[in-house]
Amino acid sequence: MIEILTVARPAPTVFDGTANTVAVVVLLLEFGMLRASLFGAQVRLYAAQSVAVSVLAGVVAVGRGVPELFILAALSLLLKAVIVPLVMMGQLRDSRAEIAGSGSLGVASEVIISILVAAFGFFAVGALGIHSEVLPAAALSLSMAVVLVSFVLMILRRDVISQAIGFFSLENGVSMASLVIAAGLPLILEVAFLFDLLVAVVVFGVLIRVQSDRTKSFSTVALDRLRG
Amino acid sequence: MLTLPLPVIQALQVATVVFASPGITGVISQVEARMQGRRGPRILQPYYDLAKLFRKESLAPLHSGPFFLLAPVLAFACYLTVPMLIPVLTTYALPLGNMGDILGGGIILAFASFMVATAAAETGDPYAQLGASRAKTFGAITEPVVLLVVFTVALVTSTDLPYVLAATVTSGPDQLVRPAHLLASAALFMVILYETGRIPIETHTGTIELGMIEEARPFEHSGPYYALLKWGSSAKQLIFYTLFLNVFAAPWGLASTRELGDVLFAIVALIAKAIVVGIVVSVIDNTFAKLRLFRITEFVSAAFLLAVLAIFTLYLGGG
Amino acid sequence: MSAVLICVFFLPFAMTLLSLVLPRRVTEMATIVVGVVTFVLAVTLMPSVTHGVVTAPFLRVDALSEIFLLATAFLYPVTAIYTIGYFARERSVIARDGADAIPQFRRYSRLFYVGFNAFAWSMICAPIVNGLALLWIAIEITTVVSALLVAIDRTEGATEAAWKYVLIASCGLGIGLLATIILYYAGSTVLGESYDLGLASMLRSAGELPAVPVQLAFGLAVIGYGTKVGLFPVHTWLPDAHSEAPTPISALLSGALLATSFYAILRYYQIAVGALGPAFPQNTLLIFGVLSLLLAALYLFAQRNIKRMLAYSSVEHMGILAIGVSFGAPIAFAGVLLHVLAHAAAKGTAFMGAGTMVHKFGTKEMSGMRGAIRALPFSGPIFLVAIFTLGALPPFGMFRSEFQIVSGGVASGHGVVGAVLLVLLSTAFLGLMIATTRVLFEPGTGAMLPASEPSYWMVVPTLIGVVALLVLGVHPPDTLVDLLTRGAAELTGASS
Repeated sequence: MIEILTVARPAPTVFDGTANTVAVVVLLLEFGMLRASLFGAQVRLYAAQSVAVSVLAGVVAVGRGVPELFILAALSLLLKAVIVPLVMMGQLRDSRAEIAGSGSLGVASEVIISILVAAFGFFAVGALGIHSEVLPAAALSLSMAVVLVSFVLMILRRDVISQAIGFFSLENGVSMASLVIAAGLPLILEVAFLFDLLVAVVVFGVLIRVQSDRTKSFSTVALDRLRG
Repeated sequence: MLTLPLPVIQALQVATVVFASPGITGVISQVEARMQGRRGPRILQPYYDLAKLFRKESLAPLHSGPFFLLAPVLAFACYLTVPMLIPVLTTYALPLGNMGDILGGGIILAFASFMVATAAAETGDPYAQLGASRAKTFGAITEPVVLLVVFTVALVTSTDLPYVLAATVTSGPDQLVRPAHLLASAALFMVILYETGRIPIETHTGTIELGMIEEARPFEHSGPYYALLKWGSSAKQLIFYTLFLNVFAAPWGLASTRELGDVLFAIVALIAKAIVVGIVVSVIDNTFAKLRLFRITEFVSAAFLLAVLAIFTLYLGGG
Repeated sequence: MSAVLICVFFLPFAMTLLSLVLPRRVTEMATIVVGVVTFVLAVTLMPSVTHGVVTAPFLRVDALSEIFLLATAFLYPVTAIYTIGYFARERSVIARDGADAIPQFRRYSRLFYVGFNAFAWSMICAPIVNGLALLWIAIEITTVVSALLVAIDRTEGATEAAWKYVLIASCGLGIGLLATIILYYAGSTVLGESYDLGLASMLRSAGELPAVPVQLAFGLAVIGYGTKVGLFPVHTWLPDAHSEAPTPISALLSGALLATSFYAILRYYQIAVGALGPAFPQNTLLIFGVLSLLLAALYLFAQRNIKRMLAYSSVEHMGILAIGVSFGAPIAFAGVLLHVLAHAAAKGTAFMGAGTMVHKFGTKEMSGMRGAIRALPFSGPIFLVAIFTLGALPPFGMFRSEFQIVSGGVASGHGVVGAVLLVLLSTAFLGLMIATTRVLFEPGTGAMLPASEPSYWMVVPTLIGVVALLVLGVHPPDTLVDLLTRGAAELTGASS
C-alpha cells in the first residue's frame, strides 16, 4: 500500500475559516450587486449580504465569546435584512421602473475593474500587516475589498437605487471590518451606528422619492446641471 | 473477511465508473421528469438504449476519414483511464494511480473532448461542427478556471495529487471551512455544470439545435459508435462528479482498507453521493433559464472570480 | 460648569422638538432666544476650559472643542435672525401667488425650523461629545439633516445637489467610520479589548499606539472627514450644496459645518502626532491643504453664481486651515483656531449678504446683479466688508489669523510654503474681488431697482457678523486670547 503524503499547508482555525468564508460570501454578494440588472434583484442581494454580515456577527460572538454580539446580530438582521429592503422595495413598488440602466461600462469590464480594485484593497491591507492572534487576517482584507467594490458600484451605476444600495453595502463592509477588528466595541456605540444607518436610510428614501417624483425615473443621467 | 488484491480494486474503480454512469444519468432524468410532473423514463433506460444502439448498424458520412470512427473508441478509452488516477473507491493510491496528477487527469479528459470535436469536424454536418467549435471556444475560457482550481489545491496541499487533497479535507473541520477550499469547490462545480452540458449552459435534452454544444457533436455518429459516445459522456459526467465529491466536497465513505466489505460500501456510497449531486444539478436545471450563448462567458467569468478569490484568500492569512 | 455643558447639549435639542409643535411665529422667536442663550452659555464655559477640561456624562469640552462650539453657537442665533427676514420675503412671494400657497408655506416653514434646529444641535454636539465614535455619530447626523435641508426647496438644482451631497458625504463618512474602527483596533492593543474611544484616554495613550494602524486611520480620517470639510479631491459636493441650499443653511454649512468636520480631523491629528510623530500627519495635511487652496484659487475666477463663488472661497479657507495645522508651530495653531472663528463670522456674513442680493435681484447669476451698492444701501457695503475680510484685509479678524499662520510657518522653517500660501491667497482674493467689484459697482440692473433693503431682519445679522469680525481683528477679549493660546497648547502638547 502506498503511503499518502500529508504535507498540508497549515490551515487556519475553524473560527477563522468560518469567519473568512462568511466574509467571502459577503464579497461575492457585492459582486452580484454589481452584476444585477434588476432593481429588485439588487435589493434582494443586499438583504442576503446583510444576513451574511449578521451571521458573521454570530460567528464572532461564538468564536470570541462576546455574547453582546448576538444582540447586535439580531438588531442588524432586523434593520438591514428586513427594514432597509422593505423601504427600498416600497420605493420600487411606487415607481414602475424595473430594469436598472446598465452602468457606464459593460458587465465584463465592470467585473474586471472590480477584481482589480478588490485585489488592490486585499493586498494593500494585507501588506500593512495588521495582525493579532484573535484576528482572522483575510476577513479584514475582504471587508476592505467590499468597501472598494461598493465604490465601483456607486461610481459606475447611473441610477439612484443602485447608488443607495451601493452606500448601504459600503456600510455592510465597514461593519464587517468592525466585527473583525473591533469586536469589543461597546454595544451602545454599535447600536448607535445602526441607528445612524436607519436615519440615513430614511433620508436616502426621502431623496429618492423626491428625485423619482421629479424625473419619473431612477436615472441619474439628468443630474448634470450643476458643474464648474 | 476477504481481502482484495490491489489490481482488482483498481479494476473495480474503472468498472464502477463505467457501469454505474448510465444509471446515474437515468436517475437524473427520472428526477427531472418528476419535478416537471412527468412520469419519466425508467431508471435503467440508458442501459437499454446502449444495448439497442450496440445492435444497430453504423454508418459514416461520405468522405469522412478513418478518424471519424476511431475517435469514439479513443475517447472512451480516455474515460476508462481517468478513474485510475482519482480516488473513486479508496483513500489510498492504487497501482498506476500515481502515474498522473489532477493536471494529468484534466489533460486526458481534454484529449477525449478534443477527439470528439475533431470527429465532429470531419462530418461536414453544420450542427456537429457548430457544437465542436463552440465546445472548443468555451473550453478555452473554462481552462483557466480549472487551472486556478488546481493551483488552489496545490497551494493547500503542496502537491497536486488528488489523493492528498482528499486526505487533507477529511483531516478536520478546519480544512473544510477554509474559504479557499469552498471557493475552489464552488468554481469546480460551475465547471462541472459547463462540462456536463447542463443548464444554464445548454439544454441537455437535445431539442434546441441552435443552443447545443455538447449534444450536437455526435449528431452524425450511429450504431455502436454513437453508443460509445453516449456512454462516454455519461462516464465523463460521473468522473466529474467523483472528482468533485471524493476530492473536494465529500471525501467520506471511501475504503481505507482492502476488505471486500469496505470496497463494496465505497461503491454504494459513491453512487449515493453521485445521485445527491445529480438531484442538485436537476434542481438547478429546473430553476434557472438557459443563458444566451454570449452570456456563457459571464457564467465562466463568475467561476473564474471564485477561483481567483480562492487564491487570494490563500495568500492572505492562509485562507 | 457641567450643568452649563448639559444645557448647551439639551437646549437646541429641546428646541428641535418644540418646533414640531409650536406655531410658526413663536418658533421663529424661540429659536433666536435659544440660539442666543446657547451662545451665552458657550461663552460662560470659556474661563473654565482655559484652565482645564469640563466634563459631563458622554460630554467633554476642552479649549479646542470650545472654539468650534463657539463658532457654531455664534452662527446659530445669527442665522436664525436672518431666517425671519428670509421667510418674510418668501411670504410676500406667496401672497402674490394666492391663498392656496399658505398651508404649503406653513408646512415648509415647520419642516425648515425642525431641520434648522436639528442641524444646529448636531453641529453643537460634534465638538462637545466625548469620544471619536460619538463624534462620528454627531457628524453623520449633521450630514443627513443638512441633506434634507439642501433638498427642501425641491427645485431641480436642489434635488440634484442634495443627492450628490448625501451620497458623497455619506461615503466619506463611511470611510470615517472605517478610520474610527481601525483606531479602535489600534487602541485595543493598549487599552484592552473593550473601551469607549473616550478622548482623554486616547490622547493619554497616544504615544503607545501601534504605528501602522494609526497611520492608516489618520489617512482614512483625512479622506473621510475631509469629504465634509471640502478638501481637494473630495470637495465636489460642496459648491452644489452651498449654492442650492436656502441661504441661512448655506451660511451654516459653510461657517459651521465645514469647521466642525475639520475639528474631527484635528482630533485624529492629535492622536496621530502622539503615535507617529509630527512628520506624517503634517505632510498629509500640507498636501491636501495646498491642493485645495490651489483649486479654489483657480476656480474662483470662473464662477458666475454668487453662492458658488463663496462656496469655493470656503474650500480655499479650509485649505488654509489644513496648511496652518501642517506648520505645527504654536502661533500657527493659534492662528488656525482664530481663523475658524473668523471664518464662521465672515463666511456667514458673506453668504447672508449674498442671499440678500439674490432676493433683491431675483437671480443667483452674477451677470444679473449690477450696481448692488446703490440698490442695497446697507447689505451692499456690508457684503463688501465681508469680502474684504475673506481677503484678510486689516483690521478684521482674518487678517490677524492669517498673519499668525504665515508667521508661524516662516518661524517653523516652512518659508517656501508660507510664500506659496501668500501667492495663492492673493490670487483667490483677486478672483473674489473682481467678481464683487462688478456686482457692487458696475452700473446696470441695480439702477432700475428702488434703493431699499428687502428686510431689516436680513441686515441685522450681517451687522453682528461685521462687529464680531472687528472685535476679533482689533482687540480680541483677553479670555478669548487665553482660550486660543490654550487650544494651541493642546495641539502642540500632542506634538511634543
